Amino acid sequence: MPFRELNNVQLDTLKELSNIGMGHAATALSQMIGQPVYLRVPHVTIIEISQVPEHLGGAEKLMVGITLQILGDARGSIMLLFPEESAHLLLCSLLGQQGEELVMNEITESALKEVGNILASAYLSALGNLLNKSLIPSVPLLAYDMAGAVVDYVLIDLSQSGDLAMMIETDFTGDANQDFAIKGHFFLLPDPATLDIFLNAVGGPHG
Amino acid sequence: MADRVSIAQARIDQAPVVLKAYGLGSCIAVGLYDPETGIGGLGHMLLPCRPVKNPLGSESKYVDAGIYQMVDELVRAGARREGLVARVTGGANMFETAYQTLINSIGSRNARSARETLAKLDIPLVGEEVGGNRGRTVEFDLASGNMLVYCARGIEKVSL
Repeated sequence: MPFRELNNVQLDTLKELSNIGMGHAATALSQMIGQPVYLRVPHVTIIEISQVPEHLGGAEKLMVGITLQILGDARGSIMLLFPEESAHLLLCSLLGQQGEELVMNEITESALKEVGNILASAYLSALGNLLNKSLIPSVPLLAYDMAGAVVDYVLIDLSQSGDLAMMIETDFTGDANQDFAIKGHFFLLPDPATLDIFLNAVGGPHG
Repeated sequence: MADRVSIAQARIDQAPVVLKAYGLGSCIAVGLYDPETGIGGLGHMLLPCRPVKNPLGSESKYVDAGIYQMVDELVRAGARREGLVARVTGGANMFETAYQTLINSIGSRNARSARETLAKLDIPLVGEEVGGNRGRTVEFDLASGNMLVYCARGIEKVSL
C-alpha cells in the first residue's frame, strides 16, 4: 500500500494505534525514571527519504539514536531519538549522577539500549495485542552522532521500497515542572509492504 | 540551501560553489571534479548497487547508477570526461557488529561499489576517507577540487 494513497481515516487509524502503543511505552518509561511522562499528540509525516534528517532537526545535529527493527507479522523500524542533554538526564535518572555531560561508554550505552528495548517492547506488545498479531523488537542499536549518520541505517531498508518514508512521531517529555526535562522523540516507520496489517486491524481501510 | 546534497541526491555545479553533504553514516559521498573547467558534482548515495529488475525511485540513491548519472550530467555541463577525478568518503559502520547481518556491512559495500564503479569508468580515485564508525560531514570546494571531511565532536579535519 503506497504511503501517498492513504486517506485521512487511515492516517487517523495509524495515529491512534501509535498513541495506544505510546501510552504503554510512556508508562514503562515513567516507572523507570520515577517521573511522570507527558506525551504530545502524535503526527504522521510522509516525506522523501532525503528529507528525513532535516526533519529530525538537521542532518548535523548531534543526538543519541536507538533503532530497532520490527519483526514478526508486520515489518518496519522504531527510532528513539534524544538530544544530548536529554540522554544525559535520562542516564542520571537511571544510574545516578553521571558527571556534567554525556559520556558514552559500555555502561551508559547499555543502559540507553535497554531503555530502547523496554519502550519498544511495551509499544509493540500493546499493538500486537490490539491487532492480534505477533510484533517483536529486534536487538537495539545505538549511535551517538549526527542525525544523518544515526538514521541512515533505518532509511536503507525503506529506500529499497521507494523514495518515501512515513514516520508516525510522538514527542514525549519528563516532568514538565522541572527546569531540565527529558525530551525524546519516538518514531514508528512502517514498511509499506506490511502497512495493511496496521490498517486492516482497526475497522479496516474505509472508502 | 542550493549547495546541500541530501540523501539519494546528486548535484552538479561549478567553481566557486562549495557542495556539502551532512551526516554521512553508512552513506557514501562521491565527489567528481574536472580541474580544468572547475565543474564538479557531489553524490550522496545510500545503496551499493542498482537492482537489475524493478529498481525503485531515483538513480542517485544507488552508488553505481548514481556515479554513472553524475558522469553523464557533468559531461553535458561541459566537464572533460577524461579530466575527471574522484574523491570518496563515508561508508562507516555506525553500529557495533555484535551480530553479523547484511545491513551492518552496508558502509563497506557502498565503498567497494564506489571503487569498482570508478575503476570501470577509468576515473582515478585521488582521495578516500571511508570506514570507521563515526558520522562524517563533507564540504566539496569546486574552486580547488578539495574535499574537507570532518566528524562531529572531532577536532581533526581531513583534507582529500
